Amino acid sequence: MSTAEQNHRLPREATAQGLDLCTQTKKSSVEIPDRFLGWIIPIGILLAWELLARLEVLPPNWFPAPTAIAKTIYEMAVNGDLWKHVGITMARVVLGFLVGASLGTLLGAVTGYFPIARKLLDPLLQSLRSVPSIAWVPLFLLWLGIQESSKIALISLGAFFPVYLNLSVAMRHVDSKLLEVGKLYRLSSFEMVRRLILPAVLPEYIVGLRSGLGLAWMFVVAAELLGASSGIGYLMVDGQMTGRAAIILGSVLLFAVCGKATDWVMSATGAKLLGHRTR
Amino acid sequence: MPARVAIDEVRLNEVTQDDSCNKGGTLDIAIARKTFAGSQGSLTALSDISLTIDAGEFVCIVGGSGCGKTTLLRIVAGLETEYEGSIHLDGHQIFGPDLNRGVVFQEHRLLPWLTVHENVAFGLSRLSSAERAAKAEHYLDLVGLRSFEREYPHQLSGGMSQRVAIARALAGCPEVLLLDEPFASLDALTRIRMQEELLRIWQAERTTVVLVTHDIEEAVYLANRVVVMSPLPGTIRNIWPIDLPRPRERTDHEFSRIRRAVLDEFFAHTLNKS
Repeated sequence: MSTAEQNHRLPREATAQGLDLCTQTKKSSVEIPDRFLGWIIPIGILLAWELLARLEVLPPNWFPAPTAIAKTIYEMAVNGDLWKHVGITMARVVLGFLVGASLGTLLGAVTGYFPIARKLLDPLLQSLRSVPSIAWVPLFLLWLGIQESSKIALISLGAFFPVYLNLSVAMRHVDSKLLEVGKLYRLSSFEMVRRLILPAVLPEYIVGLRSGLGLAWMFVVAAELLGASSGIGYLMVDGQMTGRAAIILGSVLLFAVCGKATDWVMSATGAKLLGHRTR
Repeated sequence: MPARVAIDEVRLNEVTQDDSCNKGGTLDIAIARKTFAGSQGSLTALSDISLTIDAGEFVCIVGGSGCGKTTLLRIVAGLETEYEGSIHLDGHQIFGPDLNRGVVFQEHRLLPWLTVHENVAFGLSRLSSAERAAKAEHYLDLVGLRSFEREYPHQLSGGMSQRVAIARALAGCPEVLLLDEPFASLDALTRIRMQEELLRIWQAERTTVVLVTHDIEEAVYLANRVVVMSPLPGTIRNIWPIDLPRPRERTDHEFSRIRRAVLDEFFAHTLNKS
């Protein structure tokens, strides 16, 4: 490394140290790291809830104590019901997401790359998008029956649009200056897509996949509430029918945990694919 | 500073050992007319351009904005193919981009998802991976950034990014290196250092260099010939041979005189037009 490069790097390190000094002088006397601040209120609410439920200020069949909900989940885990329901819901989400995201990827790529395909397809898809997706449920039930396929179709529909939209828009807006670099090196259309367009749209595409996955979870709840004999949504309906609030609240918790888990897997995969790049 | 010179000499020796690349090529530029279609009819960007650039020559094209100097460079690069006229490189007509012309833009245009090394090797997919790596390393050595080969573009300063862009353009073994205001977005000190660097690279590689700039001092400092263009329509106003010996001294009397002459002509013309 020549002295020139060392000079280039110095200012950045210097500013980093400067910032460090600033934050140190700013620190107040109460030392609570920022990441713990967000926990204070939820934990407070849980403690108050537990206390009020134990004192029977809250009616126990409407507002069961957090420990009672935990116990319900634990019992289901022991007798195996939990794994059955979580498993089937997870399978529906994953399958529906794969179908919807694949279609979204295909159509998004085609409309993003070929202007003619966009002019033909985009108006139709955009108008379909403005239909609230739950409105399709009666039609799906009529066409596909009450079994799995109608549920998968509904979840796929939810996952489709964010993936389609993000990919299509991102492909249209790839920096033409970078595409020109590909032209200079005489890349074929295929190489252009593989070496320039795909890596360029990857960040937006991953955002689309993540929101598609989020919507898949939203739609699995709808699908299972509307008629299912298994799954976390079914547990909720069952809890409502039999008047057991602990099961409903437990199911809410299960949805939250499962949704978060799949999102974490997705974002970790995305981060790995994106590597060290920042834009 | 003496240490720096020594390093440069080592690099020059390394470079002269590499004879796998073609030396500079002769460019014959003959553009009768280049128009752009606009909303208010067509606009003539270039008219009656005739210029021959010798093998190994360093030519700077200067002109104000809108004089078509960038368009001219893009035509030579093969990025603009709709025009009346023809470009020949060593007697062969040019119909589109090719590796025999390396291009450096005002922005570095490095791919943000590739490392410095991968960026330099980007256009070399026809070579085996060993040859590709050797080429990339050779040109990173030439621009003095070998130790940064694993970094990503966002980790580099503006001057370093532009040096990587130069290495990428050279890696294809071009006969002609085309640079479009390559140092315009750099600070004054970095720009002067990059000009030195470019001269060193040119002397080592013996490629033909065409550099577009709006900086007259830069043009007079670097070029064998300075081509002055004027706008509406873009055409060649004058060509100044610069016979000053190298290394040139910017504060030298003769240097100042030439720079002033080019500047006067430039402004006299601009004022007449407006």
